[in-house]
Amino acid sequence: MLNDLKADPVFVAAALVSVVAGILTVSRKNPVYSAIWMLVCFLAFAVLYLKLNAPFLAAMHVLVYTGAILVLFLFVIMLLNLKPEELGLEYGPRTRVAVAAVCAALFALLSYPMVKDPSLRRELPPTPPDFGGVSDVGSRLFVDYALPFELISVLIMVAIFGGVVLAKRKL
Amino acid sequence: MIVKYLVLSAAMFAIGAYGVLARRNLLIILMSVELMLNGVNVALLAFARLHAQSNGHVFVLMVMGVAAAEVSVGLAIMIAVFRNRKTIDAGDLRSMQG
Repeated sequence: MLNDLKADPVFVAAALVSVVAGILTVSRKNPVYSAIWMLVCFLAFAVLYLKLNAPFLAAMHVLVYTGAILVLFLFVIMLLNLKPEELGLEYGPRTRVAVAAVCAALFALLSYPMVKDPSLRRELPPTPPDFGGVSDVGSRLFVDYALPFELISVLIMVAIFGGVVLAKRKL
Repeated sequence: MIVKYLVLSAAMFAIGAYGVLARRNLLIILMSVELMLNGVNVALLAFARLHAQSNGHVFVLMVMGVAAAEVSVGLAIMIAVFRNRKTIDAGDLRSMQG
């Protein structure tokens, strides 16, 4: 495991950046800083996607998460224009430490069986040509998974209507 | 070796879970949900790479679609809450408590 990490400095750098930026995202008091750290975290994730031979997904990740979701967050933060006293109270340090302990236990519980599993340590098989490219993912999406694709478009349509209805002052 | 990606994915999921449970700001709770979904995406891509099958890439696209829908509705609810209650503190929203 350690030798494997030493042989892959790009992964180590991207993983460190994403974990540190993730921790900063959930710990900043001001949501603007959280959003900016989330941007750093998402960009590090795009590097990981490229390392996993998923160039199309890396591009989609940057487009959807940083291009759409993060901009939506920043837009809402500016729209609300929260004053410091409107940010709300946070839980005290004792609750936070307790929750952090629970989440550390969750991490241990999730990662222990994966670290123990020898089948996850085998050498990666060679990928077919164009693995994770536009034509590969596109043919999967429109041939094998055409029905889920159509359903997700219905879901997004419903979300658009829901967003408009909920956020509008008077219909 | 794919196990390092899965451990990172578990770490990201745990960080997001901490944000959802320990914070009271609705904006940051939504951001933490995004972090959790990202952790799941890395695991899906890691398994897709492990089996050299690109089905996992389609699943990740579905997760991204659901995340976009979830965030748009969630932020709209938050705007409605802020307009009516002048707060985005999840601990203050207890009018449905008996």
